[in-house]
Amino acid sequence: MKGFNARYQRTISFIGRIILGATLVAAGGLKAFVPAEAAGAVAAYKILPVQLAHLVGYALPWLEIAIGVLLIIGSSIRMASVVAGGIMVLFIGAIISLWARGLLIDCGCFGGGGVLAASKVGEVHRTYALEIARDLGLALVALYLYFFPHGLFSVEKSAYHNEEI
Amino acid sequence: MSKQAKAVTGGDHFTRWLVIGMVILVVITGVVFSMISSSTKANESFAALKGYSLGQPVAATIDSAPGSGLVLNTGAPVKIDLWEDPQCPVCRNFETSIGAYVEDLVRSKKATVVFHVLSFLGPESIRAANALMCSADESQYLDFHKALYVVQPALENSGFYSNENLIKIGDYIGLKSKSFADCVTSGAKLNLVKAHADSMSIYKVTGTPTVFINGKLWQRKANGFDLNEFRSAVEAG
Repeated sequence: MKGFNARYQRTISFIGRIILGATLVAAGGLKAFVPAEAAGAVAAYKILPVQLAHLVGYALPWLEIAIGVLLIIGSSIRMASVVAGGIMVLFIGAIISLWARGLLIDCGCFGGGGVLAASKVGEVHRTYALEIARDLGLALVALYLYFFPHGLFSVEKSAYHNEEI
Repeated sequence: MSKQAKAVTGGDHFTRWLVIGMVILVVITGVVFSMISSSTKANESFAALKGYSLGQPVAATIDSAPGSGLVLNTGAPVKIDLWEDPQCPVCRNFETSIGAYVEDLVRSKKATVVFHVLSFLGPESIRAANALMCSADESQYLDFHKALYVVQPALENSGFYSNENLIKIGDYIGLKSKSFADCVTSGAKLNLVKAHADSMSIYKVTGTPTVFINGKLWQRKANGFDLNEFRSAVEAG
């Protein structure tokens, strides 16, 4: 395993960077241009006070895009992967908190003791689980990049020097 | 060798701060852009209210029955109770299909309509409910209620139902009095909003929109809201 990693590390790092970076850019890009909806989505988690939630909703997509671009071009990979991992951990925490509170965000108009049909509840639980799995996977990619930041096609040429020294 | 290493780390430090600075710059620019485009979008949705003119004022009274509902047109032969949350998209569907008929029932004095303004979808529902009750004080509940659903944003609590925007909505439809604006800003009706919210459990209402016709729950058979189905239910009493 160690030999495998040593041999292919640069390729793995490159692929990891692209996966994590592209996901962040795509996720950020989808939200950045519908700011009111992004703000509303963050508010729907009911974790932050509404005003703060709106600010996070406005800022987070742009942070995701910036970090994603850094990862794709391969600059400041370590720092970017720490931030990306942090974002993923935040998401995981938010989803778990939501799940634990039994909040069903997509349910729109039911409140004050309204219950969802059993079939729909199963669907919602599955969605939560899938989202956590996805974010956990991406967080692991970020972790790998923290330990092995230097890969193929990165702007950060200092990597080569460091290795030679 | 060591000299080169030092130079490299020095350069790294500079790059790091440069990158951090760039990221912060991107985020700040983005936030400003988002805020501006968000308020532009709000203004665009107000455009849907252009050319709106206020209908005849209809006085609203507070229901003496538990729940303190807003009663329009007391003493008509049919009594309809409507439970709605101003941010609920399904209530908007109801309003689109059946709202005009309900308005007509009130204006032609064929039915007493009691509005229960719920606010379980978050802080912006509470603000909008307060504004609705303020409009009732000005006898323009029907108009303001209609306008709110016309401009209802797709997502809840997106910052759209701010007090300024609620006053602006009033402005667009011709509800310009200072007493309305003051009532919205000061949250003068928040106690009544709470009374309405608390009455959900008394009437065992768990979702919106919920309709009672003469005290009996209307259970629709159609998938969506069908005007004919609703009309025959009302006419049957």
